[in-house]
Amino acid sequence: MPPVPSGSQTNRGAREMASDGPPPEQGKMEEASTTAAGSGASDLDDPHFMCCVCLELLYKPVVISCGHMSCFWCVHKTMHIIRESHCAICRQPYKHFPSICQLLHHLLLKLEPAEYKRREKEVLEEEKSIETYSPQIIEFLNSKNNEVGNNENRHEDSKTGPPQEVSLNGSIVDENSKKINLEDVACPLCKEMLYQPAVLNCGHVYCVSCLSSNDEALKCHVCGSLHPGDFPNVCLDLDHFLEEYFPAEYVSRGQKVQFKKGQCNREGSSSGTSCTKGSNRTQHDEDLANIHIGVGCDSCGAYPIRGKRYKCQDCTELIGFDLCDACYNSSSKLPGRFNQQHTPDHRMELDDSALLQRLLRIHGIPEDGQEELMMEEAVVAPGAMLHIVVDDQEMEDNGEEDQAL
Amino acid sequence: MSGGIARGRLAEERKAWRKNHPHGFVAKPETLPDGTVNLMIWHCTIPGKQGTDWEGGYFPLTLHFSEDYPSKPPKCKFPQGFFHPNVYPSGTVCLSILNEDSGWRPAITVKQILVGIQDLLDQPNPADPAQTDGYHLFIQDPTEYKRRVRLQAKQYPALV
Repeated sequence: MPPVPSGSQTNRGAREMASDGPPPEQGKMEEASTTAAGSGASDLDDPHFMCCVCLELLYKPVVISCGHMSCFWCVHKTMHIIRESHCAICRQPYKHFPSICQLLHHLLLKLEPAEYKRREKEVLEEEKSIETYSPQIIEFLNSKNNEVGNNENRHEDSKTGPPQEVSLNGSIVDENSKKINLEDVACPLCKEMLYQPAVLNCGHVYCVSCLSSNDEALKCHVCGSLHPGDFPNVCLDLDHFLEEYFPAEYVSRGQKVQFKKGQCNREGSSSGTSCTKGSNRTQHDEDLANIHIGVGCDSCGAYPIRGKRYKCQDCTELIGFDLCDACYNSSSKLPGRFNQQHTPDHRMELDDSALLQRLLRIHGIPEDGQEELMMEEAVVAPGAMLHIVVDDQEMEDNGEEDQAL
Repeated sequence: MSGGIARGRLAEERKAWRKNHPHGFVAKPETLPDGTVNLMIWHCTIPGKQGTDWEGGYFPLTLHFSEDYPSKPPKCKFPQGFFHPNVYPSGTVCLSILNEDSGWRPAITVKQILVGIQDLLDQPNPADPAQTDGYHLFIQDPTEYKRRVRLQAKQYPALV
C-alpha cells in the first residue's frame, strides 16, 4: 500500500469515513499534526487537497493563477463583485474565475472516493436550494490527458457520483496497486508525467516548462482558450503530491527538465507562493464605473465584467448567461460556468442593468463619490440583490481612530 | 450560495479546534439560553505569554463573524477599555491580519487569529495606535506602562 498523502485523513480523523489508508500510517499522521500544534503556524491547513476556505476536502477544485486552489463555489463566493479578487491564501489579485481543474477533480475522485462522494452530495443539496449548479463534468469537457483509464466510468461521472469506488476498494487488497496512474497526471504537451504543474484559466494542466517554451499569449492546446491574466504559477499542492506519490518518476522528470532548462535559460515564474504584486487600489478604481456588478463572463470567467456586457435572451437559468466584449466577438462556444444550457444560436444582447455607472445615476450619486461607496455583497449568488450602502462598520473604526489621537 | 459559506466553515473551524488547539487558549461558539449554538459569535480566552508582563492573565476575547466570513475577517473584541496600544476604546483589536484591506486572507484560521493576538499583546505596534492611554504610556513612560500591563493581567485571572 503506497502511503497516500491525503489531506482529508489527517483532518478528518474524527469523522467517520470509509478510510482506506492503512491504520499505522494514519496514526503517524495524527501524531505529526498534534506535535505541530502550539506552534500556531499552519497545522490544520497543511495537508494536500483541503480547501482553505471551507476547510473541507476540495470539491471541483479551481486553481487560480497564483497556483493556489479552492472549491468551485468557495472561489466563486469569495470573489469580489466589484473589484478584482484576491487569492484566499496569498492575496495575489486575480480577475478571472477559472474553470474547474478536471485533472484534479478526477484525482480526488480516485484518492478519496467516499469523502468526495459525500462532498458531492452536500454541494448538490446546496445547489438545488439556490437553483444554480456547478458544471457537471462530462465527456465533452474532459481533457485528453485523462482519457485513458477513465473511459469506462466517465459517462456516469456527471450525476451519480464516482462509480469506480467499488472496483477501487477491491483493488486495494493488492499492495502494489496505486489509485492513480501516470496517465492520470500526464502533461498534454510532453505526454509525460507533470512536473511543476501549472493550471491555465480553462482548468487544463501543463508542466510549467512546457508552457514557458511557448512565447506570447498563452493558449490552451487542449481546448484552445486563451489564458487571461498572469502567467500561472506552479500549483505546489499538486506538485508535492506528485513528488510523494511518484518519487522515482518525479526525480527523473526533474533531471530532464533541468537539462532542458540549461539549454534555453529562461526566467522561470515557478515560485508558487510568491506574490510580488501588492493590491493596488487606485489602479482599478479608475474604470470602476464600467463594471457590471456581480456579473461574470461565462466564457473567459472575467468577474466582474468590465466594459460591454452581452446577456443571453434565451437562457432561462436563474443565473443567466453573459459574455464580455472580447468573448462575444470571439465566437466562443464554451458552455456556461454554471451548467447553463446555452447554445450558439441563442440571441445575445447588450445589457447594462448591472452597470455601476447606471446604478449610481439611478441612486443620484455623483460618479466621483463612488470611492465612498461600498457595495454590500451579502448575496453574490444568482439573482443577486444589491444594496448600495455606506459601510457603517468601517466608519465606526475610523471614528474611533480619530478619537484616539 | 444562499446561506453563504460562513457557517460551514465555522463548523469546520470548531471541529479542528476541538481536535487540537494551543495550550491555555479557549475558543467556543456562544450557547444561547435555549441551548442552541450560535456559530457566529465565539467566546475565547487568550493567555498572556509566559515570561512577559502579560503572564498570568487570561484575557477574554469575543470574535464576531459576519455572513461574509471568510471573505471578511471577524471582528475581535476585548472588553471595553482594555489596556493596549492597538486596542480601540471599544475593545476592538487593530491588527493587520484582521484588516480586510491589508492582511486578511480567508485562509487564516481561528487558531492563527488567536495566536496572532497573543503575539500582539507583548509586541504592540506603535505605528498603528488605537487608544491614547496605552499608546502614550508605551511611548513615554515604559515603567508605568509595565505596571499597568501587570495590573491588568491580575484583573483577568484564570477561570477554574
